[in-house]
Amino acid sequence: MNQVNSKVCVVGDFAVGKTSTVERFVNNHFSDKYLTTIGVKVDTAEVDLTQDLKLKLILWDIAGTTEFKHVEMAYLRGMSGYILVADGTRLTTISAARELKTQIEATHGELPFVFLLNKSDLQHAWEVSDRQREKLVNEFSSELFVTSAKTGDHVAGAIARLAELIAERELFGPQ
Amino acid sequence: MNLPDEISSYLKSVFEESRNPLCFLIDRDFALLDWWGFSEAYGYKNLQSGASILDHAPFLFGMLGSKTEVLPFVTTPTGGTVEVHILPHKRRFFVILLSATRDHDTHQQRQQTANELKLLHATQRQLITRQRTLIGELVEAKAELDHRRREAERSNANKNQFIAMMTHEFRTPLSSIINYADLALEADTSEADGRKSSEAIARASRHLLNLVETVLHEARLEAGHLKLRERSFNVQELLDDLSTILAPLAAEKGIAYATYLEDNVPAVLYADDVCLRQILINLLGNAIKFTETGGVSMEVAWSDSQLLIAVNDSGPGIDLADQERIFGAYQRAERADALSQPGSGLGLTITIELTRLMQGHFDLDSEPGRGCKASLRVPAKPSSMPSEDDVVLPAPAVELDAEGTATILLCDDDEDLIDLAEYYLQRAGYGLLVARDGEEAVEKALQYSPDLILMDINTPRLSGADAARQLREAGFSAPVVALTASDVRKLDQRDFTVSLRKPIQMPRLLAEIRRHLR
Repeated sequence: MNQVNSKVCVVGDFAVGKTSTVERFVNNHFSDKYLTTIGVKVDTAEVDLTQDLKLKLILWDIAGTTEFKHVEMAYLRGMSGYILVADGTRLTTISAARELKTQIEATHGELPFVFLLNKSDLQHAWEVSDRQREKLVNEFSSELFVTSAKTGDHVAGAIARLAELIAERELFGPQ
Repeated sequence: MNLPDEISSYLKSVFEESRNPLCFLIDRDFALLDWWGFSEAYGYKNLQSGASILDHAPFLFGMLGSKTEVLPFVTTPTGGTVEVHILPHKRRFFVILLSATRDHDTHQQRQQTANELKLLHATQRQLITRQRTLIGELVEAKAELDHRRREAERSNANKNQFIAMMTHEFRTPLSSIINYADLALEADTSEADGRKSSEAIARASRHLLNLVETVLHEARLEAGHLKLRERSFNVQELLDDLSTILAPLAAEKGIAYATYLEDNVPAVLYADDVCLRQILINLLGNAIKFTETGGVSMEVAWSDSQLLIAVNDSGPGIDLADQERIFGAYQRAERADALSQPGSGLGLTITIELTRLMQGHFDLDSEPGRGCKASLRVPAKPSSMPSEDDVVLPAPAVELDAEGTATILLCDDDEDLIDLAEYYLQRAGYGLLVARDGEEAVEKALQYSPDLILMDINTPRLSGADAARQLREAGFSAPVVALTASDVRKLDQRDFTVSLRKPIQMPRLLAEIRRHLR
């Protein structure tokens, strides 16, 4: 079976659930304890694209930030796509995700990405209103996923979608 | 300064001990060419020349370029946290890994505290926002409650006023009944005075019944329980009934009462005649009530499958503001003459509701001093013959002559009613058996096989409904007539030949008996 390597960065504000999302996807595990990421955590996972082709995702879980500094910009180097993560219980994390996306597009051009609105298991504490959610759907359309790293809801689906987008780009070039 | 060899050596050993340096030499395709240093400190046990370094250090993918790159904290599942230096050198790359676990942990502690504080602030901010929202909701809820309380108080005051008014309305005919009954009972009362008293009692009783019916009707309408019951009825008979009820009231006041029925009105119509009757009694009753001179007339016409009825009066008329107010329950026009007139104040409200129920249209055309014209338009279908399931047939004129020799079983626990029935039934030539509860009725019916049973529903020991069921189950097949003060439609029609609402006028009862014995 052929294997293609692909670097994917996971970005977003602090404590939105980036590490938990990767941990859920890679090890199917979740911990309630919040542990701040310093620098970057690198892990790998494989996604089967076809019977003969799989994508090895090298996942760069980058420390939470609202704006990339010089060091974090270095972490982004060579990525094929990225995962934007925001926390539904904190509205400010959505603006942070938008800001990071703008920065990425300014330095790396348009790359495949998915937008994860995380912590769907805490709906009762959500700050995102139905109207704001509607707006996000219009903004990110099929790249928006409402996820829960805690329950695993839509995490695998979101990353599989990103793998598809990356494969399409690798095979057919930027659309 | 040149460092002495032992100092350089010391520094080197300190650095190596704390940072475990490891250096790879790789080509552009990540093939490991050579290495030096503490590979085992990072879990790299089986390094092989020519093998891909990505299996051990996947973080190098995408990172090779023309410039030196330094990645301060790179954590991998097996190698802990390292500081990575990538140095391009003659189309190859030196990759230096330095252990950064200690620095990482210090940084993490500091950052963890800072982030947790930020989260705490965010939570506090959310709580404050939520608190503000809750306070807002609380204020709104309180305002809503206050509003509802005021509405309830208003409604309560209206109802209290209504009850006070109704109490007065009930007292008037009741005191007539009591006084005339006393008069009739006096030993020296002449036959003429006795008859006059009886007539007064009958009139007051009918008025009382009308009041009760009006209030019950409104209660059912308000509760949304009233449903249309359409059936065939004779239009002329309906108008005759209305004349029987209302013409004497007009005559008492010395005003004219006239009914005009156009030729094109179908003789028999299919609609809810009970509703229609109630509407017309209200309209005509009101018209008579407020008219002191002149008269009241009703015109009945037919057009486009609709019955068109106009009730005209030469009364004082109603101004526009009062017409608006009149459409609210328990409110009557605030005119001095309106307040001086008896009535529940519900008549027009009921009329409007019933007209809506019949999918008709009601209109009021009036000006003060010009009388009043109430127009009604209700859809109806021409029909061939009146329905048989008549539960509120108008009382036909019945001669109280001897009618037959059939035996009738009366089941009722009201001694006055038994006496009354005894008088009328025996006078009409019927044999009478009396049972004072349901069980006795079943026993006597099975023992004597009467030709017809008059069954009160609310009887002691065994209800009339249960008694009828038992009789039917025992094979009793003669007519059983239910007499009830509650809704006749709630009774099981398989057990009863017909159901009649109490109070029943005796001529009407005799007509029913005769019809079912035929």
